[in-house]
Amino acid sequence: MSSALSLAHEPVTGIRHGKLGMWIFLASEVMFFSGFFTAFIILRNTNLPVFAHGASELNWPLAALNTVNLIVSSLTMAMAILSLEHGNKSRFQLYMGITFLCACGFLVIKYIEYTAKFSHGIYPGTSSFFGMYFTMTGFHAIHVIGGMIPIGWMLAKSFTKRGYQDWERVEILGLYWHFVDLVWIFLFPVLYLIF
Amino acid sequence: MGAGMSVAEMQKSYIKIFSALMIFTFLTIVAAKFLHFPESWGGVSTILHVSIGLIIAIAKAWMVVYIFMHIKFDNPYIRVFIYIPLFLFSVLVFALTVLGGPTL
Repeated sequence: MSSALSLAHEPVTGIRHGKLGMWIFLASEVMFFSGFFTAFIILRNTNLPVFAHGASELNWPLAALNTVNLIVSSLTMAMAILSLEHGNKSRFQLYMGITFLCACGFLVIKYIEYTAKFSHGIYPGTSSFFGMYFTMTGFHAIHVIGGMIPIGWMLAKSFTKRGYQDWERVEILGLYWHFVDLVWIFLFPVLYLIF
Repeated sequence: MGAGMSVAEMQKSYIKIFSALMIFTFLTIVAAKFLHFPESWGGVSTILHVSIGLIIAIAKAWMVVYIFMHIKFDNPYIRVFIYIPLFLFSVLVFALTVLGGPTL
């Protein structure tokens, strides 16, 4: 805690307000996805053959590639924060750029997966498994897009004349981005692998 | 960030976690797709596959939270925001599957 009078920090814990807010938001996000995971568990346990058949129709190698995509982007995000904290602008731009590209790659692969399902006549209403599959991966993809907006904004801003120095904001964005990776870490085995 | 750690040390720990995440991803795929238990095991085989998948996922998640999300280095109060949702999620799953199971 730097100073009891500092408005930048929550006075009791000494956590910066921005970071505190993000952690509270992430806690609520955990509960948001908990609803889906619990629904998934119950539907799976009561419709095991439907779920096993549904999962066998998914393209797990593409999903594995997407897992790699997100892990790489998590690493580069952590590196970007470290770079900006120590004033290395070009490294920050490089790492942030890779993070953004990985996110684009993730969405492209997701698009390929979805369109392949649609062309085989598989829609969210096809079975309870695909209902859960499209809901969970869809909401996850929305989270990826939601992360790409500030990533792109900060990256674009660092190329302007004034530059972008606020590494603590990037750190808070990083928390969110790692959380998006975290959700996928669970979605990947639960939807694609364990049946 | 990273109490008393140099940039090089921080980068090294990030790369270490990244490598571990990659290896664990590989392991979870191998366990799910290429590891087959004997037919006679029946339901036990499914339970084993689910357990292995989830244990690896939890290990990966913990590495991301602990190092990438700076829980190891940051203000310890932040851990509350992990424990509380984790507890609530466990209660939710327990209540709906174990307690409410037969009626569903």
